[in-house]
Amino acid sequence: MLSRQAKDTIVKGLIYFSAASTVGILAVILGFIIIKGLPGLSIDFLTRDYEDNTTYVYSELLETQEGNSTEGYSERLGITLDFDEENGLVIAEIDKDSPVRNALDGNDEKYTVKKGDILTRIGDLRIDREFKELDSKDEKAAAEFVQKAIDEIDAVKEDSVRLRVVRIGGGIVPMAVTTIYMIILSLMIAGPVGILSAVYLNEYARPGKIMTTIHFAIKNLAGIPSIIYGLFGSLFFVQILKMQYSLLAGALTISIILLPTIIATTEETLKSIPKTYRESSLGLGATKLQTISRVILPNALPGILVAVLLSIGRIVGESAALLLTAGTVAQIPHALFGNSASGATLTIKAYTLMKEENDLTSACAIGIVLLVIIIAINVASKLITNKFLKKKGI
Amino acid sequence: MEVNKKPKFEVNNLNLFYGDFQALKNINMNISSNEITAFIGPSGCGKSTFLKTINRMNDLVPGVRIDGSIKLDGLDIYSDIDVIKLRQRVGMVFQQPNPFPMSIYDNVAYGPRIHGIKKKSVLDEIVEKSLRQAAIWDEVKDRLKRNAIGVSGGQQQRICIARALAVQPEVILMDEPTSALDPISTQKIEDLAVELKKDYTIIMVTHNMQQASRISDKTAFFLSGEVIEFGETGQIFSNPRDKKTENYITGRFG
Repeated sequence: MLSRQAKDTIVKGLIYFSAASTVGILAVILGFIIIKGLPGLSIDFLTRDYEDNTTYVYSELLETQEGNSTEGYSERLGITLDFDEENGLVIAEIDKDSPVRNALDGNDEKYTVKKGDILTRIGDLRIDREFKELDSKDEKAAAEFVQKAIDEIDAVKEDSVRLRVVRIGGGIVPMAVTTIYMIILSLMIAGPVGILSAVYLNEYARPGKIMTTIHFAIKNLAGIPSIIYGLFGSLFFVQILKMQYSLLAGALTISIILLPTIIATTEETLKSIPKTYRESSLGLGATKLQTISRVILPNALPGILVAVLLSIGRIVGESAALLLTAGTVAQIPHALFGNSASGATLTIKAYTLMKEENDLTSACAIGIVLLVIIIAINVASKLITNKFLKKKGI
Repeated sequence: MEVNKKPKFEVNNLNLFYGDFQALKNINMNISSNEITAFIGPSGCGKSTFLKTINRMNDLVPGVRIDGSIKLDGLDIYSDIDVIKLRQRVGMVFQQPNPFPMSIYDNVAYGPRIHGIKKKSVLDEIVEKSLRQAAIWDEVKDRLKRNAIGVSGGQQQRICIARALAVQPEVILMDEPTSALDPISTQKIEDLAVELKKDYTIIMVTHNMQQASRISDKTAFFLSGEVIEFGETGQIFSNPRDKKTENYITGRFG
């Protein structure tokens, strides 16, 4: 028979062990994501398009003055070219008055060539082919390769030249933009609907069977796995309403997922507003609507903001539902619905990168970005709550 | 003289039910202008319920049913006057000081604003006048932009009175306005009530019998939803006609 003290020690040990292992697991996960993802994280990763982008552009040429220019500098285009072991001929520097800043693409629309773009063709010179035949270890050959390109530009007799420019991808810009679109659109749909529903439930609806049923439904909706919403969305929005894999189909599906949370959080906030505010407003001859819009909602604002922030977290983290409704294409959606409206959010891309391309580093790098967003949201909602409590003097 | 004066409120055979429970039984009462009428009685006797019926705040309670009539200047408050209009004419001050969590200025300007006054100069004027009437202008004139929650309870209550005055009511209902306040603040509110009756009709529910005897002109004693006795305050306190009234005011129960 163990003494009471020994039992106490054992139980205490178990408690400490559980707490420590929880924290430990969290630390291991975070550490894993950060260690695996950090090598993939760079400015390029955060600022570049996902796919390489090849464009033919026409650029005017400047007059040469036959001066002794620095190595790799093309006077006629006002750019400095450099040799890159991976990609070939890269634009290292662009002058302020360089004509390539105002180059035109095939549709006569302005296409601004940027630093870091790759030239694969100048006029008729196939730089990409030259690059393939080149021994990249040979520094002399590399210098000649750059010089050949510059000579080719100098040799052009017309006052403009056609260039093939490749903008290297590998970044997450499209996914980031899609995520932001998804956040804005979902909140635009679920925000007003959710807040107004909460106002109805708390301010207008009479308690009774119907109210109980609605609350029961809301509670249960919040617990349904998102894949089920995804299945519904892909059947209803994508197929029946013919939206195809699109931003709107995704946002509508997400909105349904968000509604229970927004309604419940807002309703909690509305409930916490003292009844006396309503009484004194009505007692002054205000209508119910005036009372809601001038006293209730302004006071509920911090709570509503927290609901919105939680929703943003949910949108950023959602994968299953979006996979089936918004698609996995790494592009910025060009429409709300239809053919070109598909787009993958960061989370979806992390999934497909791992699943289809086996690119753990990039997936984890996205993971870091997501972690930063989620932590920022949590801090923000904490700050808002604290400020609200302070204002109320609690 | 009293007989010829037209009453502000005429209450006839008023009954009020919360579901099956009858909270007010056959109330008949005439309330005169420019007087303070006090309602006294033990807890749960219906005095607050009756007060809230006068500006239809009871409408907010689910399951309330009313029969009989209350007339304000001869017009039935349930059928002849719009509830919004009624509450504008019959303002209310509550038991707990309950300013909105906004600036003192915005609190007082709330009423005029919801009734459509937007002009800053007009609002400024109303705010100052109301705060002066509520005898708090000098204390808060330098901090009108401060949050009203930050001042003392007594000041909050006077701000609430100013807020009620700002919509230019004819009647002010006060539901135990000093029960949450200290003696000095109570004194101020009482002085204020006496001052205000020159321009307004005041109906006050109070638990404090000294308060009723100090400041009111008429007193009604409620018990179990009925008005046991209603008359001149002096008479009620010195020479009650009903035994129950006497028992209550001498502190034998309640």
